[in-house]
This record gives sequence, structure tokens and C-alpha cells, in this order.
Amino acid sequence: MSGEEEENAAELKIGDEFLKAKCLMNCEVSFILEHKYEQLRHMSEDPLNQVSQVFEKSLQYVKRFSRYKNPDAVRQVREILSRYQLTEFELCVLGNLCPETVEEAIAMVPSMKTKGRGLDEEAIEKMLNDLSLIKTFE
Amino acid sequence: MYLEVRLPWNVIIPAENLDQKGLILQRSIIIRLLDEFACKKATKDLGYYLAVTSLEHIGEGKVRQNTGDVLFPVVFNGLTFKLFRGEILEGIVHKVLKHGVFLRCGPVENVYLSHLKMPDYKYVPGENPVFMNDKLSRIGKDMSVRFIVIGTKWLEAEREFQALVSLEGDFLGPVS
Repeated sequence: MSGEEEENAAELKIGDEFLKAKCLMNCEVSFILEHKYEQLRHMSEDPLNQVSQVFEKSLQYVKRFSRYKNPDAVRQVREILSRYQLTEFELCVLGNLCPETVEEAIAMVPSMKTKGRGLDEEAIEKMLNDLSLIKTFE
Repeated sequence: MYLEVRLPWNVIIPAENLDQKGLILQRSIIIRLLDEFACKKATKDLGYYLAVTSLEHIGEGKVRQNTGDVLFPVVFNGLTFKLFRGEILEGIVHKVLKHGVFLRCGPVENVYLSHLKMPDYKYVPGENPVFMNDKLSRIGKDMSVRFIVIGTKWLEAEREFQALVSLEGDFLGPVS
């Protein structure tokens, strides 16, 4: 088994279509899937039968790995992260893994450190501080 | 990573259902789209197909010569899940073997973390086997682990992905 030669998310080498695609954080996906599940519940007696295995496993996963549970908090996370020049992909990795230090953030999203990005340690520190305020009020 | 992608799709409405008009026809098209989407499971390019999030456009129907069915070109937005090499994510251990562990990540069941990619962790046999390091940090069933994806493989026949992951790197390993 081998990875494709060129693909490397750590360097943002994920293909043009994915660089431009909208990525979603686990907490955002959780709202979408829960909402869909509720719709099905109203329509049928056995909603679990109506959804695919893929849907069910994903719902379990995002519920467990959502760092933010409150819809306002989730919106704020995206809003704050959007202020820094991050790609959708980078934004979601940060929103999912919630690094606590600048060192950890850079380890999770090494592409932030590429020259010319304008994302120095001070900016990353500020970003993490802003995010930590949301957690306090959740 | 979860993605929202814009997808074109051809929905075919059988001739018998074509006496429906307006909103009822539109509803049939949407229901058929949702059914077909749910059956698709996954593709190599976009990953696992999860849900239709919004409908952008239903085009004009085209009659298919042989069957009398009508084909409606539809464009919608869908939620998919795809693992990228080099991506860092978290998953749940569901099987512990002597040479490594299997994790579940999103809809992917076969995410394999080899003992060779768990620096300093050793297999500890028993009724509930785990991998453990000198600092007594453990990796066992139902535990969350943060890893980096080092390779992915698309299995055409089963329509699913497998992945190879590693703990080699800073801030990777069990997550409390």
C-alpha cells in the first residue's frame, strides 16, 4: 500500500479542487447530520434503517469528536479562524484538533509556516487566545 | 476531512411516473436523488458520500429513446468524507492485535496503525490487550488516538478506503 506520490496535506498538496472546496469541521457536520436524522425520525418509525452505514458511522464519529457543542460557539470559531489567512482545509484541522499552544498548532498544520504566509507565531498565538475565549463561555 | 462538494447527477424518472406534474414531480426527483445518493457509498475521487445538503438546480428533462424514461440533470451540494495523506486526525481504536491496532475514523473502519509506527509503545497481551509505553501511556480498545495519515488505498470492489497511519510526529498519540 502506498500513498499517491504527490499528495501531502501537511504541505497543502491536496489537489486544486480540494484546495478550493468547502471543508467542514466535525462540529458543523454534527449539526447537519443530526438535523437530517431528526427529519427522518419524523418521517419514519425506524430512522436508523433509512440511513446508510456511512451516515450512521459518521454521525457517531462527529458527535464524539466535536469540540464545540453550541451552534453560536461553532459560528464564532469559524468567524475567528476566517480572520487569519487560512485555507478551508487548515481552518477545519485547527477547529477539529483545538491545539493549545503555538507549537502544537504548527505541528497540526505545518503549512502555516510556509514562507510568505504572513502567519507568524504572534498571529497564531492571538488566534489561539481568541479561540480559548469561546471555550470559556460554551 | 469533511467536504461540501457541488455535484452533477442524472436522475431518471420511469415513464409510469411521468403523469406527475410540478411540485410532485420535483419531489419524485429529489427522493430518487436521495435514494441513489445513499446507495452510492463512496467514490475514489470524493470519498464517502454522506448526505445531500442542498439542491441547486433541476434541469429540463430529456426523453430517453428506448425506454421512454426521462432524464433530469440535477446539480446539488453534498457532504462527503475523504482522508488525505499527511492529514492529522483523531480516531477510535476498535481492534488491538499483536502487530498493531485498527481504528475507526469517520465512516472508515480500516485505519491501521502498525506497531512499527508507534514509537516506544509495546504490546501488552491479556484479556484486554493494549499497547503501552514507558510513561504508562496506553493505546487500547475504545480509546481516542491522534495520528497522521501516511497512505490511503481505494478498494474498487468493496467501494471503500483503507488507510495507514502513524504516531511519528509531535503531539500525536492517545487523546484524553
